[in-house]
Amino acid sequence: MNATVIVIFLVIVAMTLVITYFAAKRTKSTSDFYTAGGGLSGWQNGLAIAGDYLSAASFLGIAGSIALFGFDGFLFSIGYLVAYLVVLFIVAEPLRNLGKFTLADMINARFDAKKVRGAAALSSITIVIFYMIAQLVGAGALIQLLFGIDYLWAVLLVGIMMTIYVLFGGMTATSWVQIIKAVLLMVGTVILSFLVLQRFDFNILEMFTQMKTATPHGEAFLNPGVRYKIPLDTISLMLALVLGTAGLPHILMRFFTVRDAKTARSSVMWATWIVGIFYVMTIFLGFGAAAFVGSDLIIATNPAGNMAAPLLAQALGGDILMSFISAVAFATILAVVAGLVLSGASAFAHDIYGQIIKKGKATERQQMLAARYASVGVAVFSILLAIFAQSLNVAFLVSLAFCIAASANLPVIIYTIFWKKFNTTGAISAIFTGLISALILVSISPSVMNPEAGAAIITGTPLFPLTNPAIVSIPLGFIGGVVGTLLSKESDVRKYSEVKVRANTGGFRQL
Amino acid sequence: MAKTVAGGKTRVVQGESKKRNQESGTVKGNNVKEAKPDFDAIEASASFRELMKKKKAFLVPTTILFLGLYLLFNFIISYTNWLEKSFIGDISWVWVFAFGLFAMTWILVTVYMKRAEKFDEMAVKTLKEFNYDKEENL
Repeated sequence: MNATVIVIFLVIVAMTLVITYFAAKRTKSTSDFYTAGGGLSGWQNGLAIAGDYLSAASFLGIAGSIALFGFDGFLFSIGYLVAYLVVLFIVAEPLRNLGKFTLADMINARFDAKKVRGAAALSSITIVIFYMIAQLVGAGALIQLLFGIDYLWAVLLVGIMMTIYVLFGGMTATSWVQIIKAVLLMVGTVILSFLVLQRFDFNILEMFTQMKTATPHGEAFLNPGVRYKIPLDTISLMLALVLGTAGLPHILMRFFTVRDAKTARSSVMWATWIVGIFYVMTIFLGFGAAAFVGSDLIIATNPAGNMAAPLLAQALGGDILMSFISAVAFATILAVVAGLVLSGASAFAHDIYGQIIKKGKATERQQMLAARYASVGVAVFSILLAIFAQSLNVAFLVSLAFCIAASANLPVIIYTIFWKKFNTTGAISAIFTGLISALILVSISPSVMNPEAGAAIITGTPLFPLTNPAIVSIPLGFIGGVVGTLLSKESDVRKYSEVKVRANTGGFRQL
Repeated sequence: MAKTVAGGKTRVVQGESKKRNQESGTVKGNNVKEAKPDFDAIEASASFRELMKKKKAFLVPTTILFLGLYLLFNFIISYTNWLEKSFIGDISWVWVFAFGLFAMTWILVTVYMKRAEKFDEMAVKTLKEFNYDKEENL
């Protein structure tokens, strides 16, 4: 770790703490805490959504995968981007029109039942915890590499920072840290892309031609199949990515930070442009790293390829650029985990404590306290899990989180908005069928069971062939909702009229 | 222009509902005493049905289109090597299709933003018909 790294790193940390200080002054109510008072503009929230999405996994992970696997490394990006159309067309506006702080609020606009709220909160918490462990374990390993400090200290450092942002600055601090980080990340990526393209004389054709011979994969580098060789597995994974985004709690929560459906819509528009342009640039980063750093050095530094972007920065821009990219990667990790803490805390404090235990009668003070306790609780719990999971291979947890979101949350969202006969039993069975089937299938899949000792959490022959169960568990979630609905006689068609009118007109938000 | 007005109004209402929540500690959906609007009548009205028809006419085909193209792409690259042929020089059709999906996303988002403005106008019109475009209802 050299002096430049420390200086840039401290500047970014100081900047986020200043933001938190000002945000803390403005965080007085639960609405401020969970949703920044609903006062973000379209471009602000769009940048924040993009920021939530451009986690260390996608910034460092995708650049690294492209460097090591060529086109297959890029494949995920397509799913991540097209997913925004599902968010925009189906989820964003009804969610804003019907909900307040959480996904459970939106479903409860139709079914005023504690059981439904509990089920929705449970699936949200499960997703958040899995996503968080993956991010924290990745973060620990990464910070260890970037700054040469111990894994334990790295996780604690990230954990303490994220807790400070959330505890004092709530959603306002989290959003602004996310926005600034998104801007820095884009600046860093543009600079790196420019330097890479310069090496290829700004000739894209020439770049592709050179890449044919630049890596050990030869021509195969530019075609699918280097990494993903089992067709059904690839399709299952891609299905989880395209349908999962619309059910991720920390993404859904962002739609409550704007004042109306129109602003929610424009924030998705901003996010698709930013995320899309970013992903196009990761191609340059990946190709550049493969050509100018070389896969041997990338793998030697980190077998998963996570250090490709920082190494590329070192090769093309020297210590200063390397330090800047490393500091931005650190900021990325912090901002994403802070958003996750907040969405986990809202499910605990707002759904479970405020609405289920206190039956919606908790005072504002009690709710605020609960929100802060829940934030600390979620943070401490995830830090502990991340410390224990250090030596486990948990990279699959991110795609598992997408899979659960698509299997447990998306069906119930779609039925709530579009299906007249849908009822309480259907809602509960949709959530539980999706959640439980995804969990069971993944626990007997190659992601968890591997005959090779140490390659996965359990040593043994997998009972389910696909690494990601989405292609089975998503249909099961949808079928679970239908079966549950038909088995139960109850239905409230009048309530559906209300939900339909409110979801589509944006009127009667106070009901 | 109707929309900017609506936006301004919404902000005021949010403040009010926040205040109300703070006072009583209740959240929407619970213990709302005031008489409920006649949602059945709104749902059955010609203008609301027209809005739903227009929305459906846009959203159903476009959703089938983008999910279809996305799945098609994944099936083709997973099961065949049809796209692994040169488009220009060493850039194969794989990259062209992939970038096409990016372009499709941006185009559909842009088109939807335009359409949604019409949907907003229709929604305001429906609420007006029932005199529900007042501040407390937006």
